[in-house]
Amino acid sequence: MNVRNLITCLFLVFATTSCVQDEALNSEADIETCIVPGDVLNRDPIIENDKITLLVKSGKDVTALAPEFTLTPGATIIPASGKVLDFTNPQFYEVTSEDGKWKKKYEVSVAFAGISNTKYHFENVRFNSKGDYHIFYETDTQGKETMTWASGNEGFALTGIKDPTAEKYPTCQSPNGKLGKCLKLETRVTGSLGSLLDMPIAAGNLFLGSFKVDVMDILKSTKFGVQFSYVPTYLKGYYKYKAGSEFQVGGKPDSGRKDICDIYAVFYETDKDLQSLNGTNVLDPNNPYIISVARVDNAKEVDEWTEFNLPFVFRPGKSVDPEKLKEGKYNLTIVFSSSIRGDYFEGAPGSTLYIDEVELNYE
Amino acid sequence: MNKKNILITCVIMLMGVAGRLNAQEDRNHGIIWSSLRGLEYEIKAGFNVGGTSPLPLPQEIRKITGYKPTICFSIEGNVIKWFDTYKKWGMILGVRLENKGMETNARVKNYGMEIIGDGGERLQGNWTGNVKTKVRNSYLSVPVLAAMKVNSRLRVSAGPYVSYMTSGDFSGNAYDGYLRKDNPTGTKVEFSGDRVAPYDFSKNLRNFNWGVQAGVNWKAFKHLSVYGDLVWGLNDIFEKDFKTISFPMYPIYLNVGFGYSF
Repeated sequence: MNVRNLITCLFLVFATTSCVQDEALNSEADIETCIVPGDVLNRDPIIENDKITLLVKSGKDVTALAPEFTLTPGATIIPASGKVLDFTNPQFYEVTSEDGKWKKKYEVSVAFAGISNTKYHFENVRFNSKGDYHIFYETDTQGKETMTWASGNEGFALTGIKDPTAEKYPTCQSPNGKLGKCLKLETRVTGSLGSLLDMPIAAGNLFLGSFKVDVMDILKSTKFGVQFSYVPTYLKGYYKYKAGSEFQVGGKPDSGRKDICDIYAVFYETDKDLQSLNGTNVLDPNNPYIISVARVDNAKEVDEWTEFNLPFVFRPGKSVDPEKLKEGKYNLTIVFSSSIRGDYFEGAPGSTLYIDEVELNYE
Repeated sequence: MNKKNILITCVIMLMGVAGRLNAQEDRNHGIIWSSLRGLEYEIKAGFNVGGTSPLPLPQEIRKITGYKPTICFSIEGNVIKWFDTYKKWGMILGVRLENKGMETNARVKNYGMEIIGDGGERLQGNWTGNVKTKVRNSYLSVPVLAAMKVNSRLRVSAGPYVSYMTSGDFSGNAYDGYLRKDNPTGTKVEFSGDRVAPYDFSKNLRNFNWGVQAGVNWKAFKHLSVYGDLVWGLNDIFEKDFKTISFPMYPIYLNVGFGYSF
């Protein structure tokens, strides 16, 4: 009797004190979608966490574009969505969350059809917004930034590195290049957090494309390829490689195997259905979109700078349509990885690939 | 250290009393001796039902989608000292070994989260989605209560208690939602389907808790009684410098069971 009364009392107390409060205003400040009116874009805009890339058709005027955005509900943006701006140089937008407490700056830039600079020296890095890992970019002869390389560092950051420094990330710059500085890729263990997310190791990688973490399907995090308006012929460069001592599969040692690096480039066609290849299909031998592939097939452990010179080999029956090329319907990606099976989380921690003075030839 | 010593002394004292009472020959003698001095002894066994919860629910918690009390036993030994000849007013000193636990599911928005790996890796951020929480803490508690007999069968009591946590588990996982790394503008990581983000805040639990309790004891038979105590924690179960969960949480449990008085 008394017990029942007490329980009733208890629930009354909870009922009066534990009501769910009114929902707080949104504190996120995202650009969720972006469109550019007029027949200007060649692909959907690439929206990353603080960056949007507009892939513009060749010959289009970019001095007066009016991109329109949708934002996190309640958020505001300056300059306003739909305002006409000159995108000759990147424009910066600031999004303020509904609750006014958070602001995020987006860089919105135009990528013209084709890569203007195809010699890569890996001399330029900047830090991500939090300041713990390197982002590689290339410049033209005037020092103007022309392109940014993508890497999986953002994904590695999710495994919560203790006392992060750029050198603890799988992809970073190294001072000991063939000429000046160079790219260093190292396969790393991701610790217990990485294992929880089924990512026991992380191979160092660098590629042309974009990276957006997808923990549901990690292979889809890497979006390979940027618009390219020429026909690539050769990929040349220098590498050094040292395999890690213990090959691991799913975080467990597999003594029978030895690690090796991977260097490849894929030239492929795009359409409405396929705007970019990702980790699931970039090396698919039967993918109908792929036109030609250049891939290293005799990589070995070397501690001297060693040249690689990889011809683009056309897939059987594939050719380049000059009309589509002009319209910017083809993509190119170049990929470097410190473990050839790194995308499947197989490899040897400590495997290290150095890359420098890469040159892409085209006609 | 001091607190610990007091607790240990109390336990030893009560065990001594209980031990003596158990010895059959001494029993009657001991009870008569005690009774003459206004002392009574009782032991209680029961279970805790309730929750470890923020009060009031913070804005981050949008909905409690599931609640499951877990089996949490308690055993308690009490010494009651009556001050007046009618044994109306008295004081209770007790020692209670107990578990307090529950499991909840909640839908949250912008909930502070930190996942800490074995090697000290930290992933911190704001979670929007579902959170499953499991709490199971063991305490050694010492209540000091004022007691009053309403009539020959009914006794009410109320007063403060202190608890020392002997072991604690506060863990769970986040699922069907997304994490913004570091803050609401950080990298967005979506989790759905079977993919869950486990967390464990057990190491951040505070060892010392205190609160108040009030209850009734109803004497059903000469020696046997049923009781119910509402035990309300008044300090945060987490350590002061633990900022990941941005609101304090309090253990609020109903302790019900049977008592045996000698």
